[in-house]
Amino acid sequence: MINNLKKKVLKNLLLKLFVLSITLVLLDFIIGSLLDIFYFRQESGVLYRTTYAIEKTKEDLLIFGSSTAIHNYDPTIFEKGLKMSAYNVGNDGRSVFYHYAVLQAVLKRYKPKIIIYDFEIREFSKDQESYDRISSLLPYYKKNPEIRPIIELKSPYEKYKLLSNIYPYNSLIFTIGIGNTEFNKKRRGDINGFVPLPNIWNHPIDTITFVNRELDSNKIKIFESFVKDCANAKIELFVVCSPILIEPDYTSNSEMMGEKIAKKYNVNFMNYSKDSLFINNPKLFADIGHLNVEGAKIFSNIVKENIARVSKSLTKTGNQ
Amino acid sequence: MIFTSFNFLIFFPGVILVYYLLPEKYRPGFLLLASYYFYINITPVYALLLAGITVSTYAFTILIDKTKAEKKRKLFLIINIIITLLPLFFFKYYNFVNNGVFNLLQSAGIRWPLPEISFFLPIGISFYTFMALGYSIDVYNEEIKAEKNFGVVALFLSFFPILLSGPIERATNMFPQFKGRLVFSYKKAVRGLQLMLWGYFMKLVVANRIAILVSNIFDNADLKSGGSLFMAVLLYPVQVYGDLGGYSLIAIGSANVMGIDIIPNFKRPFFATSMSEFWRRWHISLISWLTDYIYTPLSFQLRKYKIWGIVIALMLTFLISGIWHGAALTFIFWGVLQGTFLSIEAITNKKKKSFVKKHNLDKKKWYIFISCFFTYLLFAFSEIFCGPINSMHKAFFVIRKIFTNFGGPLYYYNPSMIIFILFGISLLFFVEWRMEYYKGAFSFLSNKSWVVRTLLYALLIIIILLIGVFDGGQFIYFQF
Amino acid sequence: MESEIITGQLTSIFRNVFNDETICLNNEITAGDIGSWDSLSHMLMITEVENVFSIKFKLREINKLKNVGTLIELIESKLT
Repeated sequence: MINNLKKKVLKNLLLKLFVLSITLVLLDFIIGSLLDIFYFRQESGVLYRTTYAIEKTKEDLLIFGSSTAIHNYDPTIFEKGLKMSAYNVGNDGRSVFYHYAVLQAVLKRYKPKIIIYDFEIREFSKDQESYDRISSLLPYYKKNPEIRPIIELKSPYEKYKLLSNIYPYNSLIFTIGIGNTEFNKKRRGDINGFVPLPNIWNHPIDTITFVNRELDSNKIKIFESFVKDCANAKIELFVVCSPILIEPDYTSNSEMMGEKIAKKYNVNFMNYSKDSLFINNPKLFADIGHLNVEGAKIFSNIVKENIARVSKSLTKTGNQ
Repeated sequence: MIFTSFNFLIFFPGVILVYYLLPEKYRPGFLLLASYYFYINITPVYALLLAGITVSTYAFTILIDKTKAEKKRKLFLIINIIITLLPLFFFKYYNFVNNGVFNLLQSAGIRWPLPEISFFLPIGISFYTFMALGYSIDVYNEEIKAEKNFGVVALFLSFFPILLSGPIERATNMFPQFKGRLVFSYKKAVRGLQLMLWGYFMKLVVANRIAILVSNIFDNADLKSGGSLFMAVLLYPVQVYGDLGGYSLIAIGSANVMGIDIIPNFKRPFFATSMSEFWRRWHISLISWLTDYIYTPLSFQLRKYKIWGIVIALMLTFLISGIWHGAALTFIFWGVLQGTFLSIEAITNKKKKSFVKKHNLDKKKWYIFISCFFTYLLFAFSEIFCGPINSMHKAFFVIRKIFTNFGGPLYYYNPSMIIFILFGISLLFFVEWRMEYYKGAFSFLSNKSWVVRTLLYALLIIIILLIGVFDGGQFIYFQF
Repeated sequence: MESEIITGQLTSIFRNVFNDETICLNNEITAGDIGSWDSLSHMLMITEVENVFSIKFKLREINKLKNVGTLIELIESKLT
C-alpha cells in the first residue's frame, strides 16, 4: 500500500512538472516570437545598426571596429574623397569576434571594394568580456548560419540556451520597445553608421601606465582569418590604429602581432596611435581613447588621403 | 561550478535523479562523491586541502572524546584549531600581514624579506573552516559525541549546497540528518524548488543587475557626482542581499530537495528597526556561529565588567567578523563600526526602551518607518567598507563627496538599467513586505490553486530569462 | 532554598535587567518569550543571578540551559 501511495505521489509530481514545462515552452515561444518580430522591426538605434551591418549593407567601403571605429571614422568623408559609397559598421564594446561574424554575413551577400579595420591598442588581449559580449549576435543565430561558429565561441552551451526563444533578447525588452518608436530616430541618430561625439575632453591629462596583457590565441586566429577572407575575396584591406590622447609608454603587443599578420598577407597597416597631431591635443578628443566630431573629421581626412595615395585598386581604375 | 552556471543546471538534476534512484543506504556516500566532484570541478588542489582539514578534524575530535584529562583535551582542541586555521590564514591573510609588517618595518628602517605570493583564494575555505572549528569546539564542550564514521564528517565539511557560500551549518544539525532517514518528501522537495527559484530571481535579476550600475559608479567615483555616489551606496546593500541571500536560498533549497534541512541565513533584513535587530536577520548563520563560539565565551569571561564586558565582547566579535570578511583595513574598520553600533545600542537600550514605551512609539507606523530607514542608512554607509571599495582613502573620499559635492548629473547607465532595477527591487520588496506583515512565507507562491501556482512559477522563470543578468554581456548597451 | 523563593528572586532580577515590570515567570519561558532577553542582555542577567544568589556558573552549564525551569534547577543545584 505504501508503494501505491509512493507511485501516486511520484505520478502527481511528474504530471505537475510536465504541465509546468508545457506552460513554460508555450510562454517562451509566444513572448520570444513577439520579441523577435519587434527586434527586426526597428529602424534606428544600436540594435538596428547591428542588423544593418549583418543584413543590409551594400556600400563599397566598410569601416569595421569597436567604439574607436564608430566614433572616429566619418563615412561621408570617404564617400566624397574616394567617390564610392561608405558605411561605418563599427559598434561600441565589440571585439574581433564580432567583426569577423559581420564580415561573414557581409561576404554572403556581396563583396565590398575596400574595408577599413580599426585596430585597438588591446585588440588581442585576453578577457572574459569579449566572449560575453558576443551576446549581441544571438538574435541572428537562426537566420545566419555563417556566424554560428562565432556565437558558439561564447560557451559550449549556447546552442542549448538558444532553444529558448527569449534568451537572445535577454535584457533587451525595453530597448526593443524604444527602438520601434519614431522618437528613437532622433535620439540615436547616426550618419551612415557613424556616431560623432560632440564634447571636448577637459579633464587633466595624466600619464597612464599601460600594461601588456596576455594575448588570446582565439582572437589572433580569428583576426588572421579576417585578413585571409578579405584577401580571398579580393577586398582591399586597411588595418588602422586610431590616435589616442596620451602617448603610451610601451609598445602594445597586440599591435606588434597585428602588424606581423598584416605584413604576412601584404595588407596596409597604418598606425596613428603615436601621431603628433593628436598626442596631447585634448581639443580633438571626447575622452582619452575617442576622437570628438572635430578630431574625427581631421582623422578621417588623413586616412582618406592615405588610402587614395596607397590604394592599389583605386590607382588601377583611377578616381571615377 | 557555481549555482548560476549552466553546468549546475545539468549537475543538480543529475545528482537528484541518481540520489533518489539509489537505495537509501547508499545516498550519503553518493552525496559525498558528488560533493567532491563538485569541488574538484572548481580547482582540484583545493579538494586536497579540504580533505586534509577533514582528516585532522576527524582525528582530533576522536582524541578529545577519548581523553578524560581536561588539560589534554584542551591541548588537542588548540592544536586542531591551529591546524584548521593555518590554511585560511595563509591563503587569505598572508599578503595582508606581510605587507603590514613590511610597512611597519620599513618605517623603522628594516626590510622584511619575504616575497608577495599571489594565491587564488580557495573558494569556500572561510566557510568550511568555521564549520570544522565549530564541530571541534562542540565535541570539546560535550555538545556532541565525536563522530566515528569518517564519511559523515567528510560529507559535513564538503556538502556541495553549502560548501561555497554557506549557510554555515553545525554538526549538531547535520550529523543526525546524514545518519538518519534520507527519504523523498514531496512537501520538502516542492519547498526546496520554490526557494531555489526565488534565489535565482534574487541573484540574477536583482543582484547582478544592480552590480553593473554600482560597480560602474564606484570604479569611476572621481568622475561621478555625489548624488550618484549616494545612490550607489543606497543600492549596494540590496545587491549584497540579492547575492548572498539569493545564493543561500539556492543552497537551502537544493538541500531541501534532497530531504535535508538547512538553517536559514536571512530573515527580511531591511525590516529591522535597529542594528541589533538587523544582525538577527542578516547572515544569521555567521552571526549565530560568532555568538556561540566567540561572543558568548568572551562575554562570559568578562561578565564581571557588566555592560563594559558586553561592549568589549561585541567589539572583539565584530572585529573577527570583519577579518573573516576580508584581509584589508577596510574590512577591519567595517567590523569596528558594527561593534560600535551594537555597543551604543546596548548601552542606551534601557533609556531608549522607556522612552519608546512612554510615548507608545513602537505602535506608530512613522516611527517604525524612520527606524528602518535610519538602520538601513547606517548599514549602507558602513557597507562601503565591506567590499565595493578597496581602500580606506577612497572610501572616505566617497563619503566626503556625497556630503560636499552632491549636485551633478545622476548617473544611471541607460534607461533599461533603471527600469530593470526598479522592477526587481519592487517585486522583491513586495514579496518580503507580505511575508513580514502578513504572516506566511511566500504567501503568493503558496496560493491554494495549483493552476495559479504553475502560472506564477512559469512567470518567474520567464522574468529571469527576460531580465536576468547571466554574464558580462550587458555592457553593449552602455550609453557612451 | 525553595524553588518558589528562587522563582520570586529571579522574577525581580528579570524585571530589572530586562526593564519590564510585567514579567511573570514559569518553567517553560524561554528567551523568545521575553522581548528584551537577547544575547546582549543574557549575560547581564546571568551576572546578576550570580551576584544575588552568591554562586558561580560554568560556561558549559549556561550553554545547556533550555528555559527558565532548567535555570531554576541549576541555581538549586548550586545552592545545595
